[in-house]
Amino acid sequence: MPNVKPEMRVIFVVILSLFTAFLFLPLLILFARSFEDEQGISVANYMSIWSDRNMIEASFNSLKVSAAAAFISTILGFTLAYAIHCTNIYRPLKSVLKTAIVVPMLLPTITYGFAIIYSLGNQGLLTKLAGRSLFDIYGFNGLLIGYVIYTLPPAFLLIHNAFKSIDKKFIIVSKLMGDGTLRSFANTILRPLIGTLGGAFVLSFILSFTDFGIPASLGGAYPVVATQLYQVMLGSIPDFNQGAVIAVLMLVPAMFGIWLLKHLERLNFHYDKLADTELPRHRIRDAAFGTISIVTVLGVLSIFAVMFLAPWLTAFPYDFTFTLKHVISTFQSSDLTRVYVNSLFVALLTALFGTLIAYSAAILNVRTSLMGRSALDIVSMISNTVPGMVLGISYLLLFNGSSLKGTFAILVLCNMMHFFTTPYLMAKNSLSRMNPSWETTGELLGDSWFNTVWRVILPNSASTVIEMASYFFINAMVTVSGIIFLVSAQTSVVASKIKELQHFGKFNEIFVMSLLIFFTNLIIKLLCDYLQKRRTVN
Amino acid sequence: MSHILKLQNISKHFDGKTVLDNISFEIGTGEIVSLLGPSGSGKTTLLNIILGLTQMDQGKILFHQSDLTHVPMRKRGFNIVFQDYALFPNLNAYDNIVYGQRNNKESASPQQIQEYIEFLELKPHLQKKIGELSGGQKQRVALARTLVTNPKILLLDEPLSALDGVIKESIKQRIQSIAREFKLTTIIVTHDPEEALTISDKILIINQGKISQFGAPQEIVHQPSNDFVDQFIIKQLHIKRQNIYNLFGEQYA
Repeated sequence: MPNVKPEMRVIFVVILSLFTAFLFLPLLILFARSFEDEQGISVANYMSIWSDRNMIEASFNSLKVSAAAAFISTILGFTLAYAIHCTNIYRPLKSVLKTAIVVPMLLPTITYGFAIIYSLGNQGLLTKLAGRSLFDIYGFNGLLIGYVIYTLPPAFLLIHNAFKSIDKKFIIVSKLMGDGTLRSFANTILRPLIGTLGGAFVLSFILSFTDFGIPASLGGAYPVVATQLYQVMLGSIPDFNQGAVIAVLMLVPAMFGIWLLKHLERLNFHYDKLADTELPRHRIRDAAFGTISIVTVLGVLSIFAVMFLAPWLTAFPYDFTFTLKHVISTFQSSDLTRVYVNSLFVALLTALFGTLIAYSAAILNVRTSLMGRSALDIVSMISNTVPGMVLGISYLLLFNGSSLKGTFAILVLCNMMHFFTTPYLMAKNSLSRMNPSWETTGELLGDSWFNTVWRVILPNSASTVIEMASYFFINAMVTVSGIIFLVSAQTSVVASKIKELQHFGKFNEIFVMSLLIFFTNLIIKLLCDYLQKRRTVN
Repeated sequence: MSHILKLQNISKHFDGKTVLDNISFEIGTGEIVSLLGPSGSGKTTLLNIILGLTQMDQGKILFHQSDLTHVPMRKRGFNIVFQDYALFPNLNAYDNIVYGQRNNKESASPQQIQEYIEFLELKPHLQKKIGELSGGQKQRVALARTLVTNPKILLLDEPLSALDGVIKESIKQRIQSIAREFKLTTIIVTHDPEEALTISDKILIINQGKISQFGAPQEIVHQPSNDFVDQFIIKQLHIKRQNIYNLFGEQYA
């Protein structure tokens, strides 16, 4: 590892200052505000929140629906990952399943709700195809479907990645040792994955519990914590102190979840070597897992099908004649195109600065011997724990009177803090696998530390940097919970505009805007995948 | 022979454990010196202290009588070939070789670079990516890259450990030729007694951070100074000789 250079210390101080100002300080203010009332400092806000029947009901509802969604997503995520890794189903089908299941990640969660209404509501596309209303979607059922669609992709990706590090040779060994099907499955698949499955459940639970987009569109008379928080903060009589209390309470399950994730990691297996093993043929297994996976993916995609149809029809679901008027009117509306340009602007800046900060933090942590560098891991853990809504409210409380209020800068900063952890871990993982002597070699060849990073480290991690930027961009395009409290009329972005359009019942515009986000994200994703592949080939 | 490098009473501790204990020795101009010892004996730490990568707790390093103890790595003018070569995979072999040229005024001229490339037989491989090179070729590219900076002392960390058979012998000869041809003082870290005895002018045997013996190969073979040298070096060579004898008969032993 290279000796510590002054420039390393400067970057370290800049990054820590940034997180102090835009992560720790806002959270501290939030915490302080939760204890403030007319009489001064007390726990009265906390007491009064639990005397509110609505809040108790919302908490119970949130816990119930999030736990149910997390359970279903974990089972479905596992089934899909198992079908891809441990069956002999047609290989191109595996690729299609892998790609299709993550499609919802390219859309804001607020769109999910409207897609569910237009698919499974009384006049919905799928309801019409089924010939009758399947169930009431405004409440538990709708939220459950929305949360499952939302959390299935990340749960699947987590389990899918864990499957990559399972040595399938042990399945053969287990069979040769005379294990029955169930015992073999339990010992060679379930046991090594148990930590990851627990992790997938916790992750899905936290995501569901803290999401605002889905209940905002589907909650109806079914209160959950996120909608209660929104009502208290931006309702007819805003109460910032009460809002601070709900935000702090929202942090509790997230903190518990992160703590649980850390403990679950210990249950994971680490194989020394992975053998490339051909799986034994088993037609019933392949048919069963293949069918369940196809049905799951088609089920998810069918919900979104309406989004691609409705904007092109005169008045879905009553008049199915083709028209371009909704699309044209959306593009002719200077207000909506401006909002789209705002979204692009915020996403690009988030991708640029977010990647820069996360990459620099990872370099300092992994590739220098700087004292105190492990503080960056603490920063990452805290950033991972704080839900978007909580961060948004903290910013609202701290920066309300400042010049940052209503600017693009505050949106970009909020996104950078909110989405920091995953790209930071991506960079850490990539940088730690590189030769540790490159910086020393560069120095001996006359390079400054910056030069070696620019000429050697960065080109060799280009693929990861592209992936990080893509992650920041896509998430900045779809997020609504973090920025809903921070946008102004001038800085409104697509995801927050959708919430506004919902108020006026402009669903066609909502779908056109959602399609814009979808195709923008798709183009970015394909472009980044192409660039990554090119880097790998080279 | 005049002394180019002098180490005086070098000590180093890590987490309260003594890694190097009062190490003193001198190296003559153009000499090849091997630092030999088992894993964990402190030989790589000593190499890193000479390079300037690791700070010593106590002692002095003199180069041509001038004190280098507090001179930073970059200004010492030494260079190293790491055990894993540390080649830059985003650049081809040629770009790796000339990497340091633009940074150092004192680095090799274009004519000298061609000389190194030809000497190390790298011409057919210059446009290859690092991933396309064999172990021996990578070693030669790393050597050329280091030589281009015209180092005052060449340091090699386990240069042969990742190579096998004939390649190993060929690289060994090249290292010797480089040291002789360019009159380059060379310090090699190795854990292989046979390697050290056949490549070096002098060998420094280290055990548990202390010098067990410092001398020419003949001296070490015929006059091992203590039990450790006898066990670690002489016994190993006897076993090898016995194996060859068993396989091929007495005339090879």
